Amino acid sequence: MTQVTMEEVWKDINLASLHPHRQLNIDHEPVLSNQTPNKSIFQDFLNKPLNQEPPPSSSSTHHGSLLAPPATVISLNTHFIDTHFDESAMFGCFGKKRGQDSDDSRGDRRHNRMTKNRESAARSRARKQAYINELELEIVHLKKENARLKRQEEQLKMAEATQHQTKKILQRSWTSPF
Amino acid sequence: FTRTKNKKLNQKPPVCFRSKMSLSNRDPLVVGRVVGDVLECFTRSIDLRVTYGQREVTNGLDLRPSQVLNKPRVEIGGEDLRNFYTLVMVDPDVPSPSNPHLREYLHWLVTDIPATTGTNFGNEIVSYESPRPNSGIHRIVLVLFRQLGRQTVYEPGWRQQFNTREFASLYNLGLPVAAVFYNCQRESGCGGRRS
Repeated sequence: MTQVTMEEVWKDINLASLHPHRQLNIDHEPVLSNQTPNKSIFQDFLNKPLNQEPPPSSSSTHHGSLLAPPATVISLNTHFIDTHFDESAMFGCFGKKRGQDSDDSRGDRRHNRMTKNRESAARSRARKQAYINELELEIVHLKKENARLKRQEEQLKMAEATQHQTKKILQRSWTSPF
Repeated sequence: FTRTKNKKLNQKPPVCFRSKMSLSNRDPLVVGRVVGDVLECFTRSIDLRVTYGQREVTNGLDLRPSQVLNKPRVEIGGEDLRNFYTLVMVDPDVPSPSNPHLREYLHWLVTDIPATTGTNFGNEIVSYESPRPNSGIHRIVLVLFRQLGRQTVYEPGWRQQFNTREFASLYNLGLPVAAVFYNCQRESGCGGRRS
């Protein structure tokens, strides 16, 4: 792992600017694959104004190998480079994270949310239905108990009444003859 | 939208294989998926009465944390005082019902409850911890099991990721003899309703 300075890299690029990009790639492979040490340098580089033709186009050449064919990238104007800069420069080395973001994962996220919402709605319905069923069972139970208690009450009332009646009526049993 | 339909998770309540005695498919425990997520299908055989203050817990009742702060009164049925029962209280919807990756959380565990008595007469081996759901509406389930003998059930090492089925299997508790559940959400929850 060679520690290459930015200057050296640019020197090489400027010299080899007319060469096919592949050659560039092979030369600077270690630089590409190990972005961490150069990260700060790239960021400094990014802070520079983007109108400078050579650096932007050269950098996109670097990343061109990871994205579109570099030949087209070199010939593109700065505007195009601007729009792709954030994505590729920052994350190019880590794969197409951002690139995928806009299309696929937006649909995925929406799909996820729909599924979750559907599940939540189903849980809500189940909750409601379970409660209703419980109430219905309770109604049945309470009605039965109510009927039973009423019957019991009736029976008790009747028993008490007859007992009462027998007490009230005076009956002649044994009386003296006179 | 057939694509999404195929990916829909299984939402139908598990069919309780119907013997004459087991829970019907309309039973609140089945509809509320307590049977399925927490318990196997079973037959109620022992009375279980759970009361928080003046409020008796019926399946699907909505209670807030303030209403379940202290342990409820639990009375059980049965006939023979020589039979002992274990009460388990779990929350299967932790940390949230849409993502219950910590299922289940053990809130309370009382063993050696003699028939016809209540938790006061049992052995509280995991103390009552009041439910405090943060996200979503959680089901809180109370399950009663019959023990094979006295002092045959031991507490787990921790409360989270409890598994009622495994616990029952481990201590030979068999199928539940009773169960009830209520719903609990945080105090300021909207009741599952948005408007």
